[in-house]
Amino acid sequence: MPFTKKLQKFNATVRSVEVGTGDKAVTLGGGNTLPFYSFDAPTTNTAKIGIEISDMGLAHEPDCIKEVYAGCETVADMAKKAITMEGVDFLCLRLEGGDPNGENRPVEELVAVAKEVAEAVDFPLVVEGCKNVEKDAELLSKVAEALQGKNVLLMSAKEENYKNIGAAAGLAYNQLVGAESAVDINLAKQLNVLLKQLGVDSGKVVMNVGSSAAGYGFDYLISTLDRVKAAALGQNDDSLLMPIITPVASETWSVKESVATEEDAPGWGCVVERAIDMEVETAVACLACGSDAVILKHPTSVATVSKLISALS
Amino acid sequence: MALTGIQIFKLTPKKNCKECGCPTCMAFSMKVAQGAMTIDQCPHMSEDAVATLSEASAPPMKTIKAGVKAFADNKNDSEKEFALGGETVLFRHEKTFVNKTRYAASVCTCMDDAAVEARLASVAAIDYDRIGDRMYVEFVAVDCAEGAAPEAYAALVKKADGAGRALILNVKDEACAKAALDVCKDKKPILNAADASNYEAMSKLASDAGVVLGVTGASVEELYDTVAALEKAGNKNLILDLGTASIKDTFANAVLVRRAALKDTDRTFGYPSIVNVGKLASGDSHMQAALAALFTMKYGSIVVMEEMSYAQALPLYGLRQNLFTDPQKAPRIEPGIYPINGADENSVCLTTVDFALTYFLVSGELERSGVPCNLLISDAGGLSVLTSWAAGKFSSGSIAKYIQEFEIESKIKNRTLIIPGKVAVLKGDLEAKLPGWNIVVGPTEAVMLVKFLKDMQANA
Amino acid sequence: MTLFDVVFSGADTVYGLAEGAINAAIEKHGADKEVSFPGTAYCLPCYYAVTGTKVTNLGELKEALGVVKSIETKNVKLNDVFMNGVGTALCAEFIEALKYLDGADPYEGTGCSGHLSDAVIRELGVPLVTGDIPGVAVILGKAPTADDAAALVKSYQAQGILVTLVGDVIDQCVEKNVNMGANVRVIPLGKDVTSVIHVVSVAVRAALIFGNVEPGDSASLMKYTFERVPAFVNALGTLNPVVVACGAGAIALGFPVVTDDVATSEAVNIKVPKSLIVQPDISKFNATSLEARDIKIKITNIDIPVAFASAFEGEIVRKKQMQVEFDGSRVDCFELVQSKEMTEIEDHKIELIGPDFDTFEKGSKHSIAYIVEVAGKNMQSDFESVFERKFHSYLNCIEGVMHTGQRDMIRVRISDAAYDAGFRAKHIGEVLYAKVKNDYDAVVDRCQVKIITDPEMVTKLRHEIAIPAFDKRDDRLKSLTDESVEVYYSCIMCQAFSPSHVCVVTPERLGLCGAVSWLDAKATNELEPTGPCQVITKEKVIDERIGEYEDVNEAVKKFSNGALEDVSLYSIMEKPMTSCGCFECICGIEPFSNGVIIANREYAGMTPLGMTFPELASMTGGGVQTPGFMGHGKHFIASKKFMKAEGGIERIVWMPKDLKEQVAERLNATAKELYGIDNFTDMVGDETIAEDPETLLEFLTEKGHPALGLDPMM
Repeated sequence: MPFTKKLQKFNATVRSVEVGTGDKAVTLGGGNTLPFYSFDAPTTNTAKIGIEISDMGLAHEPDCIKEVYAGCETVADMAKKAITMEGVDFLCLRLEGGDPNGENRPVEELVAVAKEVAEAVDFPLVVEGCKNVEKDAELLSKVAEALQGKNVLLMSAKEENYKNIGAAAGLAYNQLVGAESAVDINLAKQLNVLLKQLGVDSGKVVMNVGSSAAGYGFDYLISTLDRVKAAALGQNDDSLLMPIITPVASETWSVKESVATEEDAPGWGCVVERAIDMEVETAVACLACGSDAVILKHPTSVATVSKLISALS
Repeated sequence: MALTGIQIFKLTPKKNCKECGCPTCMAFSMKVAQGAMTIDQCPHMSEDAVATLSEASAPPMKTIKAGVKAFADNKNDSEKEFALGGETVLFRHEKTFVNKTRYAASVCTCMDDAAVEARLASVAAIDYDRIGDRMYVEFVAVDCAEGAAPEAYAALVKKADGAGRALILNVKDEACAKAALDVCKDKKPILNAADASNYEAMSKLASDAGVVLGVTGASVEELYDTVAALEKAGNKNLILDLGTASIKDTFANAVLVRRAALKDTDRTFGYPSIVNVGKLASGDSHMQAALAALFTMKYGSIVVMEEMSYAQALPLYGLRQNLFTDPQKAPRIEPGIYPINGADENSVCLTTVDFALTYFLVSGELERSGVPCNLLISDAGGLSVLTSWAAGKFSSGSIAKYIQEFEIESKIKNRTLIIPGKVAVLKGDLEAKLPGWNIVVGPTEAVMLVKFLKDMQANA
Repeated sequence: MTLFDVVFSGADTVYGLAEGAINAAIEKHGADKEVSFPGTAYCLPCYYAVTGTKVTNLGELKEALGVVKSIETKNVKLNDVFMNGVGTALCAEFIEALKYLDGADPYEGTGCSGHLSDAVIRELGVPLVTGDIPGVAVILGKAPTADDAAALVKSYQAQGILVTLVGDVIDQCVEKNVNMGANVRVIPLGKDVTSVIHVVSVAVRAALIFGNVEPGDSASLMKYTFERVPAFVNALGTLNPVVVACGAGAIALGFPVVTDDVATSEAVNIKVPKSLIVQPDISKFNATSLEARDIKIKITNIDIPVAFASAFEGEIVRKKQMQVEFDGSRVDCFELVQSKEMTEIEDHKIELIGPDFDTFEKGSKHSIAYIVEVAGKNMQSDFESVFERKFHSYLNCIEGVMHTGQRDMIRVRISDAAYDAGFRAKHIGEVLYAKVKNDYDAVVDRCQVKIITDPEMVTKLRHEIAIPAFDKRDDRLKSLTDESVEVYYSCIMCQAFSPSHVCVVTPERLGLCGAVSWLDAKATNELEPTGPCQVITKEKVIDERIGEYEDVNEAVKKFSNGALEDVSLYSIMEKPMTSCGCFECICGIEPFSNGVIIANREYAGMTPLGMTFPELASMTGGGVQTPGFMGHGKHFIASKKFMKAEGGIERIVWMPKDLKEQVAERLNATAKELYGIDNFTDMVGDETIAEDPETLLEFLTEKGHPALGLDPMM
């Protein structure tokens, strides 16, 4: 008996969420197959890639990133350069300088940076906070206010501060809400339900179900992504049908494999190559399990992953 | 569908003879149901029962053994050959993935000697330990370029064999294949050679040499037909080469083959697979890294690269280690003393559990702090801090016992021990059990460690 | 006069004023003259929200007035009171809007804000939605004294409540130098009563912006303001008909009105329960208002002289550092939570009955009892024990306080350092009050604490109140059966590592981890409605014998994300409940003796099945159904529902000795009750008797174990 392909059809479709405005707007989600399963049904929308820059400019960046942005004097300059990279679909500004345990930059200063960047580039924008829940509650609310009309995705609302960020971004200022939970399908679901109860339109929510670098507890992320996709498509679970965005760079650029100098790790070879491959492989693994968008840092990583996405769609 | 332990037990002789190695027939039945043993390991099963059960309890995907292992994977590994395939689920959370993806680097008759030497040297260079697993390039794929002479190919195979890794013979020419097998068949190479045009001859070569035969096809349908034909001819020692037509097609093949085997129990496709990402992205090391990650996630049993660099290997092996863990068993770190940032006997001590994820988070933050310190890891059942505490596996008793068994007091002079903030409740008991120690309650989350240690240092 | 007369007359007054003002304005400026508030896209916001029509010029305003006339019907019905209230609010908006004609700034220099722009609402709206601003107080009229006014405003301010002021109260606050302005959340709106519309406008626009309420959908509007805008009105001083009409409008939006005008309220003989509240004592306005609007203030700071943090949980107070000890094993001591009626409790009252720590000699031992009395609309007596169990952790988190035990077997030590820092008996009350109020705010509306150190009183209360309460609780637990309750609960706390596992928690079958009882699950569900424990109904029986229900199956399918189709509650052979990895025990079928063996997690040896606990666990876990094997809690072993479908506990043929001893009393009682067997556990094997099936079978035969005579299990 000859082989006949049995196709896996789902009745559900991941919600499409448009980030940004006008011609440059980018759509996340919208798929109705498992990731890259274009043989089951034609690809309706491909996965997207964001490039990440920081409010701290190049201060904390490794040399290879400094080289990429050589000549840039402000964060806005970096933004302009970043969006010209091959394969970039959106820009991600990380306001890491806000961390009270780090630089602790004041909210006004960070909002000014965000505004400067948003004005410098006509490009879909994701703004990430500093990961401190109290600070982010205020910071991201203010950013949402300052960038009205830009249809920005704010990351992230967590269980502790979803009310602030959800209300500001999702209700008051008509932006998009990133809902972040800690690698657990039920926590992801619960946060989405809570946002809905708050009044946030589910069509304006993008999930970050957790992130980690390959080799660092990545097993939990794999299973969470796999399960969220399976439940969303297979069960048509409305509270899980949001597109998934996964910040990759912020995880991979701090692990030993990407940081250890050639002196520290003789035999491991070029640190830039290591950092890129860590970023590329982590990103691909996320995409293969269900991320609808990933956030990367190095242009070579962006180009490589972008090429792979095209090749698979 | 798969049989339950109870259903299998009903067909056993119920004698508890222990000849299968299990203490009871029930224990044996449960192992068969799990796929850990096969029904024919019971010497007293009636033929009828074996026939009924073999069909029903046969795994949907065969476990194929090939190659001779250069090193044991870890201290619990006693297998001499590489086990490939044998998976029962499509997603790791459904049960667990059992046989991890193996990696290969390639040499070719089209390369000059120096290039071959360099490539084989690079294979040998990748060899390190990650949480108890030995990480190295398990296979070398030896490509036979069109028109290469059998002697030349055999010579290259011999040279490749000198690297001490298992071999994959990528060859289409019968004479070359034969010549290669002659020099290496006792090393159980994979003869990746069969397609619709030559499978009969190649199957004979492989069977005569007692090696696994790799099969490919121009399309997934052709591959299926060829496998069916080989099976009909009695060769079920196969591995499926998913082809190199395009990234998209190869990926589709990987999923379609595995899905047919596991979801639709179509045993014709119930074999492990080979993906040659070196050919899919020749010359592009980052794209090969990307593809290696993709095919590790989705159903490549062996992934062949042109060359394996540390840059590619470090994340890849980490990914594989995560992917192939049992979702119900957390990966663990060996108990011991882990000095960080050049710590010595006078450096402060911290303790946490042996759950690998906790260890990585904590040690990462400790490294970031720059403060020299000794991380003391005791056996806490491989659970997270609160879970192990709740299970009584991370208690004042267990920590005190560890301090004694590992002779910490004679190895470290510092007497300050920082415990995770989540188990602050242990402080009093620990003070009682460890006289002379200053027990300090640390932060509840690893991310707060940098500030905590710096503050502590500043106030010292 | 009745309430109707008052409201209707007030409404007519304001209507007349609006009509006069509009007519005058049209005469002066013409009907095409533009009319709007500054800084809003929703002009005029209240009228637009209620009717869906935008008013942009005087001519349209005149038409709007006609619409208001049509809704202000004057039948003697409560709805007419509300509609006249709404009409009055709209007329007030018209009057205020006219003040802004020609781009005028009518409130300039008055110290009052007047109209608030959309930007202010977006800014205030976020903390309102998040609860950072827990409520909005609208204070209008005149307080008895300026000090009263200032004290009331400051009491709200201290709670983070946004205060808006209308009328004479503004001058009173100015007189007392109350700091005012949006940044300190005290906003004087205006001196005229009509300026109250500016805060109504905030509420209404919040509904449009944050609630996506469609303009004109007045039902949704009122639903939103009632459910989501935690505003209330404090009407101070004599109520005139205009104020009463405005109040009717507030009540229509869901905002209760608290007044101190007893005379007028009594004269007007209609009560609007929970919405129109007379509180003659202005010092109690705050508490009355918060309770009426169901506003709960988070306690961020516990007022005690020592630190309170989980870092102190494991601290031990040793004898030599001990200031005083309360030891329930030597003298009478107890701790207790009791639910009461709302009226019986004065919130945050902390009462000490007996001597304080000062009078105790250092190192001495005494009696203590602390009773935490709670009340709330959603409080159930079943939660008492759930709160009480947390006392151990609460008290241990106090620096210098150690607590062990529970109920009337507690021991509490206070360290000398804590005592020297000023820690006294009432501080125990402060901690218990703050923690219970914060952790259980979903069910606790009022809480008071009694601390008793008078030894005779403690003894008396222990016997009269505490022990009967504990006994009653135990009886309740015993009487809780699967049949006696309406619903069960799901628990998916451990899905993180066992993805498709769902526990169905019933009164007689607690979660297999042993940690989640039906009462715990119920409390978790009540306190965290979107959390891991959800209600499962059990109305559609499929098979009584094995305990299979259509609705339970549906729930399991949903919570396992489709991985599980059906489960039975009482069978281990047919569709048994799945197991995660955290079960206390596993039972497994032992075919030779026709029964089951049970192994607990602590047991390291071999079982007669030829498998150890870890081996059994690896086959049973992971949220997969494994007929013949099942994970469960220790407590379940003595349950009448334990594998009821296969005959119940008389199938148990083997258990590790330790486990057998732990459950013997209860298991024997169940065996006696169900089968009339005495000392059942003597017939059950353990590792000292057999670790293989043959020896076990010999033992069972010798003892005449009932399982041997039962139908085969498979």
